[in-house]
Amino acid sequence: MDVFRRTIWNHRDEFLQGIVVTGQVCLIAFLVAMAIGLVVCLIRMYCRPLRWLAILYIEFCRSTPIYVQLMWVNYVWPELFGWPTAFFDAGWAALALQSSGYLAETFRAGIEGVSRGQREAALSTGLSPTLTMRWIILPQALLTMTPSLMNQFLVVVKSSSLVSVIAVPDLMYQALRLTSIWFEPIEILSFTAFLYILIVFALSAGMKWYSDRLRTRYA
Amino acid sequence: MLADFIQAVQASLFWEYRKILLIGLATNFHVFGLSAVLAVALGLVACLARLSPFRSLRWGGTFYAELFRNTPEYVLLVWVHFVPPLLLTLLLHTRINFSPLFSAVAALGLASSGYFTETFRAGIQSIPRGQVEAARSTGLSGYLMFRWVIMPQAVRRILPEAMNQFISLFKSTTLVSLIAVPDLMYQVSMITQQQMRPMPLYSGAAIIYFIVILALSSLVRHMSEGWRAVGRT
Repeated sequence: MDVFRRTIWNHRDEFLQGIVVTGQVCLIAFLVAMAIGLVVCLIRMYCRPLRWLAILYIEFCRSTPIYVQLMWVNYVWPELFGWPTAFFDAGWAALALQSSGYLAETFRAGIEGVSRGQREAALSTGLSPTLTMRWIILPQALLTMTPSLMNQFLVVVKSSSLVSVIAVPDLMYQALRLTSIWFEPIEILSFTAFLYILIVFALSAGMKWYSDRLRTRYA
Repeated sequence: MLADFIQAVQASLFWEYRKILLIGLATNFHVFGLSAVLAVALGLVACLARLSPFRSLRWGGTFYAELFRNTPEYVLLVWVHFVPPLLLTLLLHTRINFSPLFSAVAALGLASSGYFTETFRAGIQSIPRGQVEAARSTGLSGYLMFRWVIMPQAVRRILPEAMNQFISLFKSTTLVSLIAVPDLMYQVSMITQQQMRPMPLYSGAAIIYFIVILALSSLVRHMSEGWRAVGRT
C-alpha cells in the first residue's frame, strides 16, 4: 500500500494528464481519419481516373503495421514534407493514416449497402448527386456503419499507447517515466494496464449500448 | 518531388544492409510462428471453457477473452516483459529474467488468443442446432458428432476469420523491436543510429512490410473464397 501511495497516488496528476493526452491524440486522429477516409472512399467510388491511387492508398494504410507507420511518419515525413515537426502531431498523424485506410473501406461498404433504388428515387425527384449523397445515402449508410466506426475508434485507442515511443506524453509514456523514476514496475505497469483495460472496456460497452439504441430507434 | 524522393531513398544504403535486414524479417516470422501456435492453443482452451456446461468455466473463458482483447498490445508486451519476472523473483527468491524473445512470444500469443477465442466460439456456435439434433437422432456419440458433423463445418467458417487474425498477429510482431528482439524494425533503428539517415531506412522498412503483408493478405483472401465456396455446397 505504501508503494501504491508513493508511486501512483502521489502521481495522480501525471496519470490524469496522460489520459487527457491519450484522449486528445485519439480524438484528433479519429476525426482526421474520418475526413480523409470519406474523401478517399468517394474518390475510389466515383472518380475513375484517380481510382487506382485511392486503392493504393487504402492498401498501403491497411497493410502496414501501425508501429512502422508511426516511425515512418515521425522520421521521414519531416524530411519529405517539412511536417510534422512536433511529436504530438506525428503521433496523431500516424494513427490517422492507419485508420483512414480502414475507414475508407468501411464507408464504401456502408454506401454500397444502401440499396440502389434509394439513389435512383432521389435522383428522379430532382435532387443533385451531391444532395442525394448528403441527405439520402450518407444518413442511411451511417446507421449501418456505426458499429464498425466504433470498433475502429477502439483500435485507435489501443494503438495510441504506441505514441509514447516517440515521446508523446500519453498515459503509457507517463507510466514508463514513473517506472524509470521509482523502479516499481509491478505496481505502476499493472495499474496502467488496468487503466487501459478499464478505458477500452468502458468505451466499448458505452458504444455498444449507443449503437443498439440507434438501431432500435431508426432501423 | 518524385525525383527527390527516389534520390533520398538511396536504395544502395538498403542494399548494403540486405543481409541483416533479411535476418530481421526472418525474426519477425519466427516470433509470428511461435506466438501463433501459442495463441491458437490458448484460444482453443478458452473457447472450450466458454462453451462448457459449467457456469464458472464459462465466466472464466469470457473474462479471459475480454481481458486480452481490451488490453493494448504494447502495454501487454511491456507488462509481460517486466512484471511477471519480478513477481517470480519475489516468490522464488531467485533472480528470474525473461529473454526478450520469450516475453515477445508470450505477450503476442496472449493478446492474440483473446481474439482467437471469439473466432472459434463464433464459428462453432454458427452451426445450426438442427445439425446437432440430426446427428444425435442418427445415433452419433458426442465425440463422433463433434468430429464428423460440427468440426468440418465449423473449420470452414473459422478459417477465413482466423487467417485475418494471423495477419494482424504478423503486423503486431513489429512491436517486439521495442523490447529489443532483433526484428526488421529493430535492425532499421540500429542502422539509423549509425548512419543518421532515417529516410531511406524507414521508408524501405515500410515498403517491405507493405509488400509482405499485402502478399499474405491477398493469398488469404484468395484462399478464403475457396473455403466459403466449399462451405456453401
